[in-house]
Amino acid sequence: MKKYVIRRIFSGILTILVVFTMNFLLVKSAPGDPIKTLMGKETDDPVLRAALEEKWGLNKPLHEQYLSYLGNAIKGDLGTSITYNRSVNDMISERLMATVILGLSALLISFLLGTAMGIFCARRDGSLIDSVLSTVSYATDAMPSFWLGLMLMIIFATKLNLLPSQGMYNVRAGYTGWRYVLDVAHHLVLPCMTLVLITMSGYFRITKSSILQVTNEDFITTMRATGMPEKKIFNKYIFRNAILPTVTMLGISVAFLITGVSLIEIVFSWPGMGRLTLTAINQRDYPTLMGVYLVMNVSVVVVMIITDIVYALLDPRIRYD
Amino acid sequence: METILSVNHLNVTYVNKSRRVMAVRDVSLSINKGDSLGIVGESGSGKSTLAMALLRLHPKGTEITGEAMFEGKNLLTISEKEMNELRWVKLAVVFQKAMNALSPVHRIRQQIEDIYRVHYPKASSAEIRERAMELLKLVNLPPRVYNLYPHEMSGGMLQRVAIAISLLHHPQLLIFDEATTALDVVTQGQILREIVEMEKTLSTTRIMITHDMSVVATTCNKVAVMYAGELMEYGMVTDVLTHPHHPYTQGLQRSFPSLKGDNRKLESIPGFLPDLSKPCQGCVFAPRCPHATERCFSQKPPMFKTGESGGAACWLCEGEENGK
Repeated sequence: MKKYVIRRIFSGILTILVVFTMNFLLVKSAPGDPIKTLMGKETDDPVLRAALEEKWGLNKPLHEQYLSYLGNAIKGDLGTSITYNRSVNDMISERLMATVILGLSALLISFLLGTAMGIFCARRDGSLIDSVLSTVSYATDAMPSFWLGLMLMIIFATKLNLLPSQGMYNVRAGYTGWRYVLDVAHHLVLPCMTLVLITMSGYFRITKSSILQVTNEDFITTMRATGMPEKKIFNKYIFRNAILPTVTMLGISVAFLITGVSLIEIVFSWPGMGRLTLTAINQRDYPTLMGVYLVMNVSVVVVMIITDIVYALLDPRIRYD
Repeated sequence: METILSVNHLNVTYVNKSRRVMAVRDVSLSINKGDSLGIVGESGSGKSTLAMALLRLHPKGTEITGEAMFEGKNLLTISEKEMNELRWVKLAVVFQKAMNALSPVHRIRQQIEDIYRVHYPKASSAEIRERAMELLKLVNLPPRVYNLYPHEMSGGMLQRVAIAISLLHHPQLLIFDEATTALDVVTQGQILREIVEMEKTLSTTRIMITHDMSVVATTCNKVAVMYAGELMEYGMVTDVLTHPHHPYTQGLQRSFPSLKGDNRKLESIPGFLPDLSKPCQGCVFAPRCPHATERCFSQKPPMFKTGESGGAACWLCEGEENGK
């Protein structure tokens, strides 16, 4: 087991390095440059351009830029934003918490709700409620998240006036303590609900089909033939076997959430990393963009390693060596 | 001899929204204590359906009529609670695919303990272990198997484990549902020999469901031949396999190679199984039967007695019976 974990961590680091390099090359080869944004569209002064390029190190050869960035990143320094002239570390850490709150709450709720619904419908396969939920799950799966977000906003914020349509807290009220927590929760409902509706159908369907499949396995028939109570068969044998694909799905959807959250953050003006990413792309703010990508990259890899380890613990067929 | 199970006019119909498939039709047979009955037939002949109905493991919505008397109780009508009391203690089963017979994510020990405790909830782990060791030895497996996961064993080993588990509570009736079909011939031969050997010391009665005539020939003393959900012929293995009366049994016999006899061309039975969702007039085998007459298509043949204890559902046997 120890060897397996070490090997997995090592391959994770390698993945991060490869993605890091690819991000660097992609961002550099994208059309447009930050100097133009800084100087303004109309100005084209070669002296000013040379000075700015000198300041940001953009006049150095590509490999030198890459190596110095890599060196700093390893030390934990993501550089300074070209647009805001602030430390990228600070800018990301300010916003990371908001993204984590939204992403994690959506992930947990959709996982628990989707799995519970999957179990519920698997035991009533073919019933009316199962057909209704299955149809709804296909529909939500096919919806674009930003569109669903806007629709929910129209219904719950504009028409019913029940929930706030944007932001993370009431800026004017300046709440503190428990009142602040409740205020954030209130603002969290709509963006979180959008994400849950989009990702839940995946858990729902995979849990349901996996339970139905395991239920038809010969060993379940054997257990029934022994006279074992259905409850015990389900709780111990069906559930334990059926949960495996759901764990894989959880790992994959974390990766989706980390990137997918950005879009929802923009729709709901949630002060997370999504907006930061969007402005960084528009302004060709290389250091910020690379920093955001690196954070996403590392989180996906970490989640994947955790998923693999959990899977190895749950399924004895996975070999550690 | 004492009858342990007697099945009378059993009908099993799978009901689905648009179709009713009559998978088993009017099957009557009985099995005596200590007998080993082989039920043979091609795929779709209803042999597994018959076993599942007896064990009450059929899918929801299946219609079952008739009776199956086991120890004075009708297995088809007793309550679920009464059935659960019989399960595994009196009535055990070994299934088709050895590879899937056990949960892949639980150790053998865990599964055996759980199954044992269904009927003896207070049994200690040491007690169960002792019984398991006894049985593993009986099926020629080393004790270390007890702590393994299913994927760490071969198909033959798993099949032996499944057999050992079925014997946990000394069942009176043991059903093997194609239990050795998925194994290679060498392993199958070994396990079959072990089963026969084992029975010399245990007093179990066995039903062997298979499509393989040779399995029946080596391990059973009685045989029942099924076709399209109906019983075609039954009797002692020695009689039925050497002098089959029913044209279907004759056809089956010609489609298997003989070990001792002359070289001969293997024949298959022309035609296909009939559609079981349509009612059938006359003999079900008539469309494929080389001896079919007009009467076969219009009138269903009853079971005629053949020899001492056999029977065949064929008009050809009518005269034979009268002759005796």
